[in-house]
Amino acid sequence: MPRIEDLLRSAAESLVNRRHHYLLLAFAGLSIFAGKAAISLTRPSGQDLWLGLAIWIACALGGTALLNRYLPARDPVLFPLAIFLSGWGLVAIQRLAPSFAARQALWLVISVGAMLFAAVFPHLLRWLRVYRYVVLAGALMLLLATIVFGSNPSGFEFAPRLWLQVGAVYFQPSEFMKLVLVAFMASYLGEQSAVIRAERGDASMKLPLSPRLAGPMLSMWLLSLVILVWQRDLGPAMLLFVVFLLLLYTTSGDWRILIGGLLLVLLAAAAAYHLFDVVKLRVDIWLNPWPESDGRAYQIVQSLMAFGAGGILGTGVGLGSPGYIPVVHSDFVFAALAEEWGLLGVIGVLSCFAVLTLRGLSIGLTHGGRDSHKLLAVGLTMMLVVQALMIMAGVLKLLPLTGVTLPFISYGGSSLLVCFVMIGLLLRLSAEAFSTRHPGAL
Amino acid sequence: MSVEVAVFILRLLAGLSLIGFLAVLFLIIWRSMRQVNHQLAAARMAHGYLTGLSSEPRQASEATERFPLHAITTLGRSASNTIVVNDDYASAQHARIVLEDGQWWLEDRRSRNGTRLNDVAIDQRAVLTDSDVIGIGSFSYRLTLINNMSR
Repeated sequence: MPRIEDLLRSAAESLVNRRHHYLLLAFAGLSIFAGKAAISLTRPSGQDLWLGLAIWIACALGGTALLNRYLPARDPVLFPLAIFLSGWGLVAIQRLAPSFAARQALWLVISVGAMLFAAVFPHLLRWLRVYRYVVLAGALMLLLATIVFGSNPSGFEFAPRLWLQVGAVYFQPSEFMKLVLVAFMASYLGEQSAVIRAERGDASMKLPLSPRLAGPMLSMWLLSLVILVWQRDLGPAMLLFVVFLLLLYTTSGDWRILIGGLLLVLLAAAAAYHLFDVVKLRVDIWLNPWPESDGRAYQIVQSLMAFGAGGILGTGVGLGSPGYIPVVHSDFVFAALAEEWGLLGVIGVLSCFAVLTLRGLSIGLTHGGRDSHKLLAVGLTMMLVVQALMIMAGVLKLLPLTGVTLPFISYGGSSLLVCFVMIGLLLRLSAEAFSTRHPGAL
Repeated sequence: MSVEVAVFILRLLAGLSLIGFLAVLFLIIWRSMRQVNHQLAAARMAHGYLTGLSSEPRQASEATERFPLHAITTLGRSASNTIVVNDDYASAQHARIVLEDGQWWLEDRRSRNGTRLNDVAIDQRAVLTDSDVIGIGSFSYRLTLINNMSR
């Protein structure tokens, strides 16, 4: 039988069709233009930002043109997907928090630039692999610096201090930590994967779980615990650990990883429930928000109301009242979309993330011979998608609320930047898969 | 034109172009899936068959067994092969038949006891033609090609 990666590669090669990029971009642009125009008609405000739309169009066209020039053979849908979601996010932020829209548009320019760098610069993947301990140490130092010197732009005394201030710019090192950790885990597990698989077939191994798997698993759990204690929030810690488990499972194919990991997550969550008021509150209002719908559960109840008010086709852009949900522009942007775009918008966002998963995993499959590349593609995809699922399920009260952003759509510069860099790396990986005839040879 | 009408039209436009975006996206994905499917079907198409011949008469029932020939057909004792050779003298990954540039090739995969083509052990890959006999251990297979490669 021909190998599946060869088939996927040739199928993907046949898809490199320029017409598709522009058709996708045209529909995306039309949708975002209409949303923007509807907002300026229904909510005329001082800060009417047509400039934001112009910046978005420039980013979309410029990004596509540069990618076509320097990376012609690549995955055709990832960039249009990312730019469409971020454009939708810009419109949503303009609607929900107009004063933040200009800043977000600026971050979009920086993010697309960083994505192009990650996609076009040829040595980045190798450097991430070769200098992985240096990069990891740097990221850990940055995290330590944030724990010590961190601040919060809102200035509240008890708000979690997750930001580092450099001049006038605040950024969140924990976002960059996600990228660095995925790259590190992928290259580490990529080197170990042959041994791990060999040990699996070895019947003489009496241990229930090989130390090569249990060791990284426990150290990752400890790191996640540190992040959990520092942030007093389950979200980012759980995200890192879940993605790591999925990578470990991809490497070994051992289902006991998932069971063991789930137990560790539950253990940490149970401890956090008793130790941290924020976690306890979020679990309590997840189980039953109604007794406190005017108090501590106000946000989640209003979010559910927004979903209900939206119905199938939504109230229309600018015509709903998502403003009832506190801090709607960051964590709860999905609820605002559900209200104004209805079920249609919800299905739209879900479809985009579903297609992202499909493309990301098939990029991983085309790298059958190179484990570190395969794992990097899987890890980056999972990081984006698990995060999206966590916050979407949280807003819908399917899971306890976890403080992570909705990738590409939520307000947040660091988050947008890191998401686009991940897309850039995925594009680079897809291009390398196309250009290599025999991936096993390298 | 009142503001309400304009907003309604814009809303319609936004919704329809969202649907358009998703439709193009799914079209691309669907085409890619179909492409993979076609290639898989082409790769799975049988180009002929191998008939098992046994030197021992009491295994006559096995002798009539036919195995379809694929573009890549592997032979060996391991269950992962296209054709599993249950013989003590066969290696786990013993030999391979591949179609390359319109030619059928027999390759030995560094087996312990070697592969025979028409009772002669091969030391490099050899071209196969119709009704050749491939020998592995105490088993032999007669190759029958079907001329369906009317390309």
